[in-house]
Amino acid sequence: MAKFVVTATNVTMGGEDISTACARAELVINAAEVETTDFGSGGFTEVIGGLKSGTLSLDFHQDFGVDAVSTLFLDTVGTVVVFTLVAGNGTAAGTDTPLYTVSCLITSFTPVSGAVGDLGTFSVSFPTTGAITYATS
Amino acid sequence: MADLTVIRTRMATNLGTISGLRSAAEIPDNPTPPIGIIVLESVDYDGAMQGGLTTYNFSVTVIVGRAAEREMQRKLDAYCQPTGSQSVKLAIESDKTLSGEVYDLRVERSSGMGSITVNDQNYLAAEFTVTVLA
Repeated sequence: MAKFVVTATNVTMGGEDISTACARAELVINAAEVETTDFGSGGFTEVIGGLKSGTLSLDFHQDFGVDAVSTLFLDTVGTVVVFTLVAGNGTAAGTDTPLYTVSCLITSFTPVSGAVGDLGTFSVSFPTTGAITYATS
Repeated sequence: MADLTVIRTRMATNLGTISGLRSAAEIPDNPTPPIGIIVLESVDYDGAMQGGLTTYNFSVTVIVGRAAEREMQRKLDAYCQPTGSQSVKLAIESDKTLSGEVYDLRVERSSGMGSITVNDQNYLAAEFTVTVLA
């Protein structure tokens, strides 16, 4: 796999392909720091990995059409929805185009946003719930 | 996928609804004023994933004769107004999806009036900037 310019991350929400409305996708996986510093740490802090968590952030172009992104999000606020992301400009899981599958709690949605003359957009950021899976085939 | 030729043609059709103003979707060799000419300036690709948004940036040059300058300037005044029967903005935006070919369009600005030379003839002209999302 060579370096690449992001143009075509594939994004689905509850099985719906919403890639063409999506302008940015970011999945962050974190591990909590659990401190284990003691008198034997030689004056430095020591930490081990704790519970893992994730955050999915997406930027969209607003679209109020039937079954468009606005409706999808409006109908799912407060629920858990499965998202998939195929990175590396792919459309299916592969060694160079890994597929990430995450469940997210739809905690907020901003249906109306934008200043005069701007492209209508909205951004979302959701905590993941459960395991984040990764597949290359 | 929007068709660029169709976009230009339908913009010209909208522009041509202004009474007394010709419109051209292609750059004519020998324009006959008053005429509005649609010119593609640039295309911004990959505004969304999987080719979900392409932004076309057009200029529309409206050329009027110079025979009676004051009258021609008043004509350009009317073309530059945001509203009214001679408004270029209003005419182009009269169908903002170009019959479903694009998501949206907007006439963003007029860069004002000036003199241009076409085929060794001087004319008065005004240029408009149009952004089309498709």
